[in-house]
Order: sequence, then C-alpha cells, then structure tokens
Amino acid sequence: MKRILTLVLTVLLALPVAANAADLLIAQAANFTPAMQEIIPAFKKATGFEVQATYTSTGKLYAQITNGAPFDVFLAADEKRPKKLYAAGLSEKPFVYAKGKVVFWSLKKEIGSTPWHKAVINPDLHKIAIANIETAPYGTAAMKALQKVKLWEKVKPELVYAQSIAQAFQYAATGAADAGFCAYSSVFTTEGRKGTFTVVNEAPPVIQAACILNSSEHKDIAQKFVKFLASPEVKTIKNKYGYE
Amino acid sequence: MDFSPLVLSVKLALATTLLIPIVAAPTAYILAFCRFRGKSLIDAIVSLPMVLPPTVLGFGLLILMGPHGPLGKLWKDATDERMVFSFSGILLASLVYNLPFAVQPMRAAFEKLDIRLLENSAVLGLSSTATFFRVVLPNSLPGLAAAAMLVFAHSLGEFGVILMVGGSIPGTTKVASIAIYEAVEAMRYQDALFMSLAIIPVSFLALLAINRINGRR
Repeated sequence: MKRILTLVLTVLLALPVAANAADLLIAQAANFTPAMQEIIPAFKKATGFEVQATYTSTGKLYAQITNGAPFDVFLAADEKRPKKLYAAGLSEKPFVYAKGKVVFWSLKKEIGSTPWHKAVINPDLHKIAIANIETAPYGTAAMKALQKVKLWEKVKPELVYAQSIAQAFQYAATGAADAGFCAYSSVFTTEGRKGTFTVVNEAPPVIQAACILNSSEHKDIAQKFVKFLASPEVKTIKNKYGYE
Repeated sequence: MDFSPLVLSVKLALATTLLIPIVAAPTAYILAFCRFRGKSLIDAIVSLPMVLPPTVLGFGLLILMGPHGPLGKLWKDATDERMVFSFSGILLASLVYNLPFAVQPMRAAFEKLDIRLLENSAVLGLSSTATFFRVVLPNSLPGLAAAAMLVFAHSLGEFGVILMVGGSIPGTTKVASIAIYEAVEAMRYQDALFMSLAIIPVSFLALLAINRINGRR
C-alpha cells in the first residue's frame, strides 16, 4: 500500500514538471487555432524548439497577461489589445500577423447558396450564433456587418452569444444554433467541411496583431518565432486557412 | 449597471430548488430503502454530475438538448420551442447538475430514520406513498433543508454548464456568473466587482429565508 502511494505521489509530482517543458508559451486567440496547430510543429521542425499554446478569447488572454500570466508571445484577434499592452509598457511593438474574414456558416445546405444577408433573415433560422460583440473581435466585425446592411435590430432577437469565435462555431456545428457568424479558418476544419458558408464581405477584415511580452524570459526564442511567422512556410499555412 | 443577470440567477436558483425534490426525493428514497440488483449502478449515475467537469456535462447536454438531440427533439415536439438557449434549457441543465447535491443529503436523512417508525406505519395500514409523505418526509426535514440550501447556493454560482448550453442571452440565459465573466473579459472590472459583491448578500438572504421556512415547521 505504502509503495503504491509513493508511486502515485511521485507520478503526480512529476507531472507539472513535464507540462512545463516548453521553450515558449504562446497566448493565442481562439480563431487562429487551426493554423497555429500546424505552425507549431513546423517551427519545431525548423528550430527544434518546443512551443505550447493556450487557445482562448483575446479578452481573457489580455486579462491574464495584465495579471502576470507567464506568456512569451501574445497573438491576439485584434489590434486594440496588443496596442494597449504596448502603451502600458508590458510588451514590445505590436505587428500584424494575419487578417481574418467573417463567414456565415451553417449545417443547412441551402445557406451557402444564398448571399448571407438574405440567408440571415431566412425564416427557417431561429437561433444564430455570434461571438461576444464586446470582447471577441470577430463578434464585433459581424455586428458591424449586420448594422451596415441594416439588419442588426431585425436579427438581434435571434442571436445567441458565444464567449469566443471558437464557441460560436461550436454552437453552429453541433446544430444547437441553426447558423453562425464564424471565422473563415473554421471552414477548413473537419467539422467545418460538413456545412456550407458564404463570406461576409460587409464585415471589416479582422486585423490580428501580435507582440512579444516584456516579461518573457525567452526573448531570443520569441524573436525566432516571430521571424518564423513571416516565413513563406507560414504564409502557405495562413492562406490555407483563409487568412491574408 | 444591468441587474437582470442577478435577478435571473436568483430565479434559476429558486426554480431549481423548488423543482428538484420531484426527481431527487424518489431517487433518494429508492437508494435509501430498496435493495435490488444494479442499485450501485443507479447510485453511480446519479453521482456522475458531481465528478464530471461542468464543461463536459455542459457539452453533453448541448448535444442532447440541441434540435438534433433526443431531448431537444422531444421538447420541440411538445412545446414547439427550442430547448437550448432558453430558460427551460438552463433550468433542466441546472437540475441535472444539482441532482447529486440534493440526493445525497436526502438519502442520508432517510437512512437515519428509525426503522420502527416505518414498521409502525406499515402495521397501522398506511400505504408506502402515505408513509413517505406522512412519516418519512416530516421526520427528515433537517436533511431536506440541507439539500435545499446546497442546491440553492450551488445553482447561484453555476457557470460551466450554463456557459455551454445558455448562449448568454440577456434576460433569458445570461445569469450573474456569465455576466461577471463577460465583464472581466471586457475589462469592466467595476461591474464585475459590483455583481460579485451583490451575489453574496443575495445568496445569504435567500439562505436565511429557506432557513426560516424550514424553522417554522
């Protein structure tokens, strides 16, 4: 019995050590997840460095960073928050790493064959997912598009709010919501191919900025990673997921 | 400052506390007094929400309660409404999530009963249903009060499950915990702090009220 207990304790104590074996910790806005999951292994292949990423909404990551979370690089879904960190002296100068598009996505086949502003008022759609319009940049962009075509007030009663763009897609992909305003990148995933979509051209492009955090203890590796983000290899990955 | 999330949280907690005995009391009764094969299986299923991460439970419920899921389909046929993203939906999620918190104290209270009370009631010709309502329940009130308080407090603070099935619709599914979370994300720290502070007296007062009701018996 004692032996088993010792063994269990040893394993438990060893776990956190193993989990912190990454050379670089990245705070990644949720929408870029599919692309980042390809970039990380490519970076490891090119440099040998182990990168770990946390994928969640920009707002949450920003709150964590300002409260001292130990990230090295912050890849946001907007320009606003990296600029704020820079202004507060918490990060190096931000740079744009991707421009994302909003799509109107649904499991229903007929949605992809009509322009989105017609599809969105289709009487068959009772619940439409949108990311939090206050904290998720893709949510804000989708709201602006709806306002632009004068449908915001009309569609508002049908909207359900997700905490991040990833959850907006989850609502639509599970069929819990009939359709959703999602990131173009989600269309290229296994789940995304099961539905149809149209690009929301009225939505402003989501300009995504990144910055190296001043609290980082691995600035040299962070610099290498940032350089790698501009490489042709990453450009190919980004294009594959609909980013410019 | 919008008070609707606080009101909604209290509404959800009250509704959960009022409705949960319908499911929890018979379950606790069976677990306390009956012997049958597969009892431990029922016991484990009832306790599952206690150990599952709320997000896992929430995602499962999202699929079950969605328009394509079995529960969601039934609900749609019966009411012509969608189950997810509605108050009924988060109430059902809340009932599932709280079931073990109600069943455990009730079961403990039933098991503590003097078996002779039940025997007397049987000898005097009361049916088992009548025994339950006239002998078992009145004699296990402290356990019921404990269950009610636990469930109430627990559903006031509920977050993960509702995050998954609610959709944060103002006035319908945007409860206080979700509103606080969103306020923190939007850097409205004052709102977050205010709502967090408001929840404490609200839950405290509600617990006092439940205590009084139980004390009056």
